[in-house]
Amino acid sequence: MDERLEKALDFSNYMVTLNNQKRFLREQFKENIIHYFNGGQFTVTKDLVTFVNMLVEKGNDTDIVLIDDNETPIMVQDLDEFLSNIIDTYFSAANTYHTEYQKLIKKRSVEKLTDYDS
Amino acid sequence: MTASKGILLFARNNSQIDYIKQAYFLAQRAKKYLNLPTSIVTDSVAYLSHEYPDHAKVFDKVIPIVWDQDDARENTVFSQFEKHSLKSFYDGTLISKKLDWKNELRSHAYDVSPYTATLLLDTDIVICNSDWLKCFEHANDFLIYKQSTDLLDVDRGETFERISDTSIDFYWATAVFFRKTETNKTFFDLVQHIQENWEHYCSIFQINTPYFRNDYAFSIAIHIMNGYQKGDFAKSMPGKLYFVTDKCILWDINKEKNKILLEKPRHTGEYTAITIKDANLHCMNKFSLNRCIDEQ
Repeated sequence: MDERLEKALDFSNYMVTLNNQKRFLREQFKENIIHYFNGGQFTVTKDLVTFVNMLVEKGNDTDIVLIDDNETPIMVQDLDEFLSNIIDTYFSAANTYHTEYQKLIKKRSVEKLTDYDS
Repeated sequence: MTASKGILLFARNNSQIDYIKQAYFLAQRAKKYLNLPTSIVTDSVAYLSHEYPDHAKVFDKVIPIVWDQDDARENTVFSQFEKHSLKSFYDGTLISKKLDWKNELRSHAYDVSPYTATLLLDTDIVICNSDWLKCFEHANDFLIYKQSTDLLDVDRGETFERISDTSIDFYWATAVFFRKTETNKTFFDLVQHIQENWEHYCSIFQINTPYFRNDYAFSIAIHIMNGYQKGDFAKSMPGKLYFVTDKCILWDINKEKNKILLEKPRHTGEYTAITIKDANLHCMNKFSLNRCIDEQ
């Protein structure tokens, strides 16, 4: 095989594997930003954080009903604590995503991309 | 009945695939990651006892399937008919075998489960985290995946979205959580009814498949329970379930990490690798799963 083509195909294979791993990290991030509370399930989006923060700032911070991902109404007794927890959930997930992403993009071969230990 | 929680597995070997081996492996991981007891429903009790003399330490209860009414007693599953079909099981893109697909007893899960809250799982799942513990705290009594995440980035059209192009939403019977309630009893009885009248329901819901599929039967039952419309009888299971079809190959299981070879679409016989960690995996390639279990 032409050496130029062989090199290009090696790189192409590397890119496919890199994209596989990136996609998995994205999916894991989406999973990690889910906050489970009181039998309900909340995906922590910027919308949710802003909405809850607005309620807290306006002093509406006790016995608030929020609608979860399954459209089930969930009673939140202490909204201030809920806000703190969803922010923790979001940034914990984002930090993990960032750390794993940085590790990933430094790997320059298919073997390293799929290596367990690095 | 006192409140109890646990996992229920159906494991019925065919001539090539050892589902008992998968169930044993899954039960060990369920203990490790979920700290839950596992019960197994099987027609291979003698094989289980022979191959796994310590099975009593791994399985909470072994529930035998019996074929004769006279053998039916407490803690057995009586099956009146054996009506399984032949299905092609792939081992990567190049190899497939037509084998018995013995999937017709899952609708009995409600009746046979020894638990008040049950996580019903396929045996070809590799548990790698504790996400499913959240089921038992969930407000809803029936949870099932409507969406599962394909590790292969390929457009499968409506395959796992609807049970047919012009029909109703698809649900995965792979992992189901239910509590023993009257409503759930009605649901599982309905699944049995659908199964017994499978050809009729295939016609009604435009299903074009030669064999019975639990995913479809569960999807139809959910649709009916919702009043023949979209509704919220079934809520989503917590956490993600990743899946690979049997045209991909599970290469290695290393604690919470799984290395998988994903088929290259349009390049038959070629694969790209992916490593996933801390993610529950539904591995449809039973042959490669069993090879990985053997290497543990």
